[in-house]
Amino acid sequence: MLDPAHGGTDPGARGTGGMRESEIVLDFAAQVRRALESQGFQVIQTRQGNQNPSFDDRSAIANAQNGAVFVTLHIASTGLPGTARVYVNTDLPAMTDAAAGLIPWDRAQTPFQALSRRLGDLVQALLAQRFKGSPSAAQTAAVRQLRTTAAPAIAVEVSSVVVEDRADLDRMAPGVADAIAAGVAEFRPSYVVPTIAGGTR
Amino acid sequence: MTPRWRNRLLAALALAVIVGAIYLPILRRRLQLAAKLQQQTTEQARRELTQAIPVNPGEPRVKAKLFWASGNGDGTLVESIAELPLSSDPVLSSKQVLNTLLAGPVNSDLRTLPPDAVLLAFYLLPNGTAIADFSEALATATPSGIQSEQLAVDSIARTLEANVPKVQRLKILIHGQEVETLAGHLDLMGTFLVNTKAVQVAPAAPAAAAPATKPGLRSGTLTPDKGPGKLAQAERNL
Repeated sequence: MLDPAHGGTDPGARGTGGMRESEIVLDFAAQVRRALESQGFQVIQTRQGNQNPSFDDRSAIANAQNGAVFVTLHIASTGLPGTARVYVNTDLPAMTDAAAGLIPWDRAQTPFQALSRRLGDLVQALLAQRFKGSPSAAQTAAVRQLRTTAAPAIAVEVSSVVVEDRADLDRMAPGVADAIAAGVAEFRPSYVVPTIAGGTR
Repeated sequence: MTPRWRNRLLAALALAVIVGAIYLPILRRRLQLAAKLQQQTTEQARRELTQAIPVNPGEPRVKAKLFWASGNGDGTLVESIAELPLSSDPVLSSKQVLNTLLAGPVNSDLRTLPPDAVLLAFYLLPNGTAIADFSEALATATPSGIQSEQLAVDSIARTLEANVPKVQRLKILIHGQEVETLAGHLDLMGTFLVNTKAVQVAPAAPAAAAPATKPGLRSGTLTPDKGPGKLAQAERNL
């Protein structure tokens, strides 16, 4: 699952020269999609154009798939230009109230946190090789989009919309796409859909 | 018209001119002042009203720790020391340190919170959960992005943790309302863990302990015994 963030009435971060995060991530998504498809993955996007599905709508698309991984793409308005960071969701409380085989929607990420961390670290390490100054391991943040996603889920944020020339960001797209595709490919053999209380998904 | 009445009329006109010459600049200054006051944002006006925190001047000045951006552009925070007459009351001292944080560092480039943002209210529940209600500027003027939004919340959480031990969790409201995200990314529906030593934390995912950042100065660290990358860790359940 590829999620170009924002869209529609929500432009996301806005930079110099009218740059909009919502437009840039759509271009990034196209390149990530090609890179993933070249590795043999089937790719679904949460949006193809200038729409703005809700957080829950985006998660719903991912949660309807079995064995999916979820990557939401962002361009920051801060940070060292030319770097990229991967975020995984902060640890959520254990699901003590989950009915057998069901995951509470607002904590759908809970059973996948370890997998998300592994995927995030793999992709971040590959991004760090390509973009000097990027962290070596995934960071943790309470990213809203990730919380309701029932799949290994990461947010990739590239810095930033404050670059003077949009071409500086465009030049990063192939490296970001390769890192994500290679990371997902490396992650694939270790991906076993976790057992939810009372059964499997 | 007799000369006598003509002279009286001329004198009256001269007097009117003199009064006008004196009064008009005053009127103009008042109009300019009124226009200037109108230009002040509601947030600024609110700041003036809300920042007057009753503090006993007899309170000893203590070294408060405030966390602003490191300026490296990598999403890290640095600790700054400010001598404040911190109240012994945890709610008042929380307001003091947060208002100082909002006022910003000397170098405005190191701000973590928008200059127009105002702390409207602060409550501390018996279970250690702090509820900080900020003005809309916190949501509308924080730069959109995971890193920048996390930095804003981290600076609030770490400043509270360092100065007000009774605060264990933090819930952020915007203008009295619960909102989904801070500026489009960071989840504000839950609470953020502030004092990890005092709170029983839900078991972490096994692979979640990999260090993401250096302890101490990174935004991902709250306490030395806590895995980096978990600062202001969000929780869903109180």
